[in-house]
Amino acid sequence: MSAKEEILARLRKNTRETYDMPDLSQLNPITYVDPVAEFILKTTTTAGAKLIEKKPSETLNDIVQGIAKTLPSSGQGGEDFLIASNLPGIEAQLNPDTVAEAQELMAADLGVIEGRIGVAENACIWIPQQMKEKSVCFAAQQLVIVLSRDAIVNNMHEAYARIAASTEFFSQYKFGTFISGPSKTADIEGALVYGAQAARAVTVVLV
Amino acid sequence: MSTKHSKAAEAYLQDDAVVTRHDQTFFGVRQKRDRMAQALPEWEDLREAASQIKKHTETHLADYLEQFEQQTVKNGVHVHWANDAEEYNRIVFDILSSHQVKKVVKSKSMLTEECHLNGHLEAKGIEVIETDLGERILQMMKLAPSHIVMPALHVHREDIGDTFRRLIPDFDEIAKSYKPQDPHDPNDPTFLTYVARMHLRQQFAKADAGMTGANFGIAETGDVVVCTNEGNADMSTSIPKLHIVSMGIEKLIPNYQAMGVFQRFVARSGTGQETTVYTSHFRGPRPGGEMHIVLVDNGRSEIIGNPEHWQTLKCMRCGACMNTCPVYRRSAGYSYTYFIPGPIGVNLGMLRDPHKYYDNVSGCSLCCSCDNVCPVKVDLSTQVYRWRQELDSLGHADPMKKMMSNGMSFLFNHPALYTTALRLSHVVNWMPGALVNMKLNPWAYGHEMMKFPKKSFHQIWKEEKL
Amino acid sequence: MRIGLFIPCYVDALYPEVGVSTLRLLRSLGLDVDYPERQTCCGQPMGNAGFEKKAVLLAKKFDELFSPYDYVVAPSASCAAYVRCFHPHLLGSHEAQKQCATSEKTMDLVEFLHDVIKVKSLHARFPHKVSIHNSCHGVRELGLSSPSERNIPKFNKIIDLLKLVDGIEIVEPERPDECCGFGGMFAVEEQAVSARMGLEKVRRHIATGAEYVTGPDSSCLMHMQGVAQKQGLDIKFIHVAQILSAGL
Repeated sequence: MSAKEEILARLRKNTRETYDMPDLSQLNPITYVDPVAEFILKTTTTAGAKLIEKKPSETLNDIVQGIAKTLPSSGQGGEDFLIASNLPGIEAQLNPDTVAEAQELMAADLGVIEGRIGVAENACIWIPQQMKEKSVCFAAQQLVIVLSRDAIVNNMHEAYARIAASTEFFSQYKFGTFISGPSKTADIEGALVYGAQAARAVTVVLV
Repeated sequence: MSTKHSKAAEAYLQDDAVVTRHDQTFFGVRQKRDRMAQALPEWEDLREAASQIKKHTETHLADYLEQFEQQTVKNGVHVHWANDAEEYNRIVFDILSSHQVKKVVKSKSMLTEECHLNGHLEAKGIEVIETDLGERILQMMKLAPSHIVMPALHVHREDIGDTFRRLIPDFDEIAKSYKPQDPHDPNDPTFLTYVARMHLRQQFAKADAGMTGANFGIAETGDVVVCTNEGNADMSTSIPKLHIVSMGIEKLIPNYQAMGVFQRFVARSGTGQETTVYTSHFRGPRPGGEMHIVLVDNGRSEIIGNPEHWQTLKCMRCGACMNTCPVYRRSAGYSYTYFIPGPIGVNLGMLRDPHKYYDNVSGCSLCCSCDNVCPVKVDLSTQVYRWRQELDSLGHADPMKKMMSNGMSFLFNHPALYTTALRLSHVVNWMPGALVNMKLNPWAYGHEMMKFPKKSFHQIWKEEKL
Repeated sequence: MRIGLFIPCYVDALYPEVGVSTLRLLRSLGLDVDYPERQTCCGQPMGNAGFEKKAVLLAKKFDELFSPYDYVVAPSASCAAYVRCFHPHLLGSHEAQKQCATSEKTMDLVEFLHDVIKVKSLHARFPHKVSIHNSCHGVRELGLSSPSERNIPKFNKIIDLLKLVDGIEIVEPERPDECCGFGGMFAVEEQAVSARMGLEKVRRHIATGAEYVTGPDSSCLMHMQGVAQKQGLDIKFIHVAQILSAGL
């Protein structure tokens, strides 16, 4: 018998009584009068990110280049400030679809990626993998996440319902992640620090 | 009357400041959890739902495991099964060596600690780099974790700084790139975190493989879900091309609807945040990459058959129980003999090896606070009580406790003797030995002796015809 | 309504005044109270130490002794909780199908007065500031107050009753239902942790500025009093039964 067969056999033999799945439709998860306002609040407070609301007169690229000007180059790409993105219209020096190796994106000062669902209860943004190398989402020093206001839902139940129903997410690339603000840790004496291993700062651009 | 836990705790308690800091740090996390609980009107309904989902899943686990494997294989993932820790370690080493892996970066996994994977790999010449900051610090300092979620909170910044200066070869170069220059405190946590960041990014870049644990496995879709605040699981798996997931079989949940319940609990219960920064769903390998999942039993298929203790399989390893445990907060992780401390650790240790870990069973005042914070309603305190009943048949009952229980039982079952003893009890007031000698009277360790009244209630009732 | 008074072993031996207060209080409410003399102990000390088998006979005797009564009332949350939560198991495992009738009707004094008698007024006067000690088994096994861990509407039956006492000032310490560290044999087996827990709890009570610590469980009070005296800390300890009957 293989280990799999042994394990399954033991489980079946040892399980005594069984329990039914509860009816989760009876749960009444939290909703907000204005989920967008709640999302903005949580994003800029507990998640520790910045948030910009794009005006119709602006282009996304304008906003991204504007952010880039305010940030120091990490010096990892020589002296140039390196933007990594495969989003249409963004002037970027690195393209996560065409880099030879994922490591190259570690030189990115700013990654610009797209979120497809925003969650008001916890400022999470669902980012399905839409590029060959997902390291752009984590290895770039800073992140800009573009999110449509219409994509904001109340809570994680609503978010997961959308993901489960989608035929698009996971179809090309088999990965997706929720990101809520910059990477953090409090492992040293409980002191909160932003910028652990991944993004040191995040700006959400609401379109 | 003492156990390894009580003796270790007594030594730990000698340093008042350390204990106060430890207690306040972890009670602070408990308070943050309380704020999260108060903020969600549906909190108690969620706990009941989570408990029921887990009870359902664990009692149909074989079916869900088959479904999970089917899905994940369809997505191009390699699935391996391990009966026990030895088999698991062997499988992981085989995968790594067949890919000529020299350096592995890994994110936190209690399962890998349970199976002692790191030591196994290192003995065979594979370099293992822990990438969770707390775990990396402990790895460099060769210390054991003191908590399952915040494992290095007991370590002082000076010692961390010292370790980094000794063991990170380009410490000075990294320090030069830090802005602002010359931090006021040479061991400021923000500065040290930056140093660790730069050091670990070098490791991610050079690693041949990344290993993660799994907070959850979703049977319906074959997703592996990993939650972190640091993003280290994602750094470990988006740069090196080989990804190995280590997952205890009890980590499965049925579907995305259930996932909503659990994602909302992980950080709220464990660290008092609304969410972890990263909640990553791995459904299949990266383009040009390879993904392996090792499903590990290591006693779980026996635990399901244990009528009094099977509910420990519901545990999400969130750490809420130890944050609230008044005994954990004042004795800390190193007082326990099992690598997981606190209420869940007492119970899991006994399930792992009752003859090795029974010392921890004394570390509980049966206050039941843990039962009330557990997001999946594991009946932790009842299980500790039940383990106490089993100690005698395991051959580990404290002889003094046994003698006292026998004595009490005898006395209480003979009312006439009992009331006579009460009549004589105030004689204790005059016994100097009882007041002073802690060996004869362990009560005297922390207490002044009580004064026995002249008459017991029994006597008053009888004599004063109440 | 016939009430059987259960006076736990250590209350009997060390704090008989608590028993006397309980008796006086119940009688002052016009209740028919009897004290079956052959009672001794509920078995909890043995159970918590890991020898619940030693308590089976006691549970059986308890069940028989108190069978003639409509309610069994005890001035001790942890003892009432042990009878209610553990006696059915102790008897069930040794006598198949036996209904442990007595455990269902066994109540702590506070919950009995609050839920059954629904006391609305008392002739009691206690012009002092008291800090409430919410004993663990009272909170989490009997539901005397809302556990601080849970998201449920806040309530406290002890405080509700004490509010009926003339002149009293009621406060709660920080960490209002954290364990004091008694835990029965825990206090002697894990003496250092127990003493530390007790000391911190006493300090939190003292920090409220109260003159007295009061609660439904003399075991907690006994532990804290012993710790306080050893450390030379100045605060008094009194059972709620004594306050509720003060002035009778």
